[in-house]
Amino acid sequence: MSDVIAPFLAATVRTATPLALAALGELVVERAGIINIGLEGAILAGALGALLGGTAAGVAGGYVGATVAGTIVAAIFALFVVRWRADQIITGTALTLLSLGATGTLYRTLYGASGAALTLATSAPLPIPVLSSIPLVGAALFAQPPATYLAYLAVPVLAWWLHRTHAGLALRAIGERPDAADAAGVPVDRYRILAILFGGAMGGLAGGTLVLAQAGTFAEGMSSGRGFIAIAIVVLGRWRPVGVALGALLFGGASALQFAFQAMGWRVPYQLFLVTPYLLTLAALAGAVGRARAPAALGRSLDD
Amino acid sequence: MDRGAHRTVSDASEALALTGITHRFGAVTAIDDVSMTLRAGTVHALLGENGAGKSTLMRIAHGMIRPDAGQVAVNGTVRELASQGDAIAAGLGMVHQHFTLVPAMTVAENIALGGRGPWSQRAAERVVEELSARTGFALDPRAVVGSLPVGAQQRVEIAKALARRARVLVLDEPTGVLAPGEVQGLLRWLRAFVAQGNAAVLITHKLREALDVADDVTVLRRGARMMSGPAREASEQSLTAAMIGGAVERAPRSPRVPRHDAPVVFRADDLVVRDAGDVVRVRSASFRIAAGEIVGIAAVEGSGQRELLRALAGRLPVSSGTLVRPPAVGFVPEDRHGDAVLLERSLAENVALRGLGGARGVMHWDAVRARTRTLMADFDVRADGPDVRMRALSGGNQQKLVLARELEDGPGLARGAPPERQGEQDRTADHHRFVAPSVDSPPPTASALVVENPTRGLDVRATAAVHDRLREAADRGAAVVFHASDLDEVLLLASRVLVIFGGTVRETPLQRDAIGRAMVGFHS
Repeated sequence: MSDVIAPFLAATVRTATPLALAALGELVVERAGIINIGLEGAILAGALGALLGGTAAGVAGGYVGATVAGTIVAAIFALFVVRWRADQIITGTALTLLSLGATGTLYRTLYGASGAALTLATSAPLPIPVLSSIPLVGAALFAQPPATYLAYLAVPVLAWWLHRTHAGLALRAIGERPDAADAAGVPVDRYRILAILFGGAMGGLAGGTLVLAQAGTFAEGMSSGRGFIAIAIVVLGRWRPVGVALGALLFGGASALQFAFQAMGWRVPYQLFLVTPYLLTLAALAGAVGRARAPAALGRSLDD
Repeated sequence: MDRGAHRTVSDASEALALTGITHRFGAVTAIDDVSMTLRAGTVHALLGENGAGKSTLMRIAHGMIRPDAGQVAVNGTVRELASQGDAIAAGLGMVHQHFTLVPAMTVAENIALGGRGPWSQRAAERVVEELSARTGFALDPRAVVGSLPVGAQQRVEIAKALARRARVLVLDEPTGVLAPGEVQGLLRWLRAFVAQGNAAVLITHKLREALDVADDVTVLRRGARMMSGPAREASEQSLTAAMIGGAVERAPRSPRVPRHDAPVVFRADDLVVRDAGDVVRVRSASFRIAAGEIVGIAAVEGSGQRELLRALAGRLPVSSGTLVRPPAVGFVPEDRHGDAVLLERSLAENVALRGLGGARGVMHWDAVRARTRTLMADFDVRADGPDVRMRALSGGNQQKLVLARELEDGPGLARGAPPERQGEQDRTADHHRFVAPSVDSPPPTASALVVENPTRGLDVRATAAVHDRLREAADRGAAVVFHASDLDEVLLLASRVLVIFGGTVRETPLQRDAIGRAMVGFHS
């Protein structure tokens, strides 16, 4: 049995990593009262940024490129939404579509129309001594690429920052009542911009993980809805870092089920597993939204 | 209150000095070259009608708006206040009319908001306890602000400013939301606060309050300073004249006593109403309201008046008990812009909204326009025609059109002779006559109007016009039920008062003290 469970757990964590990174970033954005539908675009831009950075300067360069690319997409979002008070949903949707088109065009321009068979050095798993030799879960949790450890680290750090620092308190207040934060002397727009940039950087990193730790190559539209799933995970995780991490694992597990079922030799159409995360997204939103309380100012026009 | 003590200090240092402040919103000059000096150790009342520029001036002083001209000095130092953060750093604190608190957070979190570095709930709670001891406010640091009554929220708002070491407090209409007893407490606290060398600006439109508590008064009208000087040299008459320009004759209270055989329009027996969250808001209320009456519902915020009015208007279901009411009740909710009108649509479209839920088929816009013209003429709505956008109208004209729309089709508009007026007699016992419903003589049309804070945001003239329209409607046989947060307005307009406290409805004699006590749960 363990020859099924251990790979299943490893696949779960591997699939959950980009989702967790993107969702943790979006969590901070939403706690500032802003919903960035453009997250999908940031992930995609991050994937292309990883390819560009990776070919130029190896794995580390790839992660840097991914982060920068995601931040650039977020900066456009911040410019429109915070500076010019544009509608959040429309701006985010436009950015996702723009990213989809722009990354495809750039990729084809740079690497030719065929574009295939371009492979990149991927970041090797970095086993943590002692911890990685824990039976069953050790290898799954602690023999992962560095990006996974970053996600581990981000959960407690964000939880601490949100609930134990004045800056976190200010961010949460902005998501609830921006005018109250303003009256208390909090620079509201600066917080919003920084939150959006952080969300973009995390989204870019998530895209970079897809390229540098999983596929080893870039494909057009390779984010395949992970940005939207990450937004659903934020709701499912009730806008809390630990909840978001658990939500990401749940979705990772749903995706990883297909490997486990294949390993056990069950003949189930693979399309069924491809669709599972998306069905779970719908179920999570339908089931969770009623119970969870979103930041009161979430998605509201910034002029209100 | 030993106010004389401060006044002997003629050269008291200037806690806040505004010089030559001018500010324009587009083509409108909101503040026109206004100067004002707040002396340390004093309360300075800033008076004016709605829209006179009081709040705008204080927003400038607090860094929320940058003036086009003029300067702000705090404790003798000229400051460039680019944000509220700058104002707070300069030692200013503002208690906003609409509190700037985060309802979902605790008192401690709200007060910690705006600080720097790490923080802990426990340290923040200690700060609140310390503030509680210093101010005499009983603040529970762990209470969630949204669950606190309005008076307590206001104390949190004040404590928040004091936690940031504010020495100059600006309070924007602080007493409007408080029950009479709470008002006295707040004003007493304010005197004690300035006695420690601090200073406060009290924005208000209540003359009595200003004369009672302030050392100095400044009056604004249409953005310009009309007068400024010591409060002891001012009188209610001189202040009123400065506020609205020229002499004013206050309409004498004309309590109407309906005919004793007037038909009962509303009859409630053991009425229970729950809100959207299934919380009981009205507890087994029993009362009668007859045609021609104007019944005032007096209450402090959140006592159940909101739900009672909506049940009478047919907007909330009756949970148990019986409520007999006319099929069509006009309803004027307090949030005019949110609930009563479409600001971006034409007057005719706004008039067409009445009863739209039950309407079918094609719209006859010409008929609607004609109706709108009639309503505008009848209610003296000043606008260019039925096709102008609602937003183009002043608040008073908007409210008059809403009243006109809601009163349409009832005897409020029927051109019959008004019911015979009775002389002033034992009004308090009057309601017993209505207990027996007069089923034998059904009313021609049982018309009714439910109104919530009908004059909120209106100036003196518009307020008088709205009151006149409500009185006329009652004269023509409509049953008018209204709630006003301002007790003075209830006393001015009502022929009978029901007080609701904690969901319990009680008939209360038309006396300020009795009503004030009943509003906070005491009754004799």
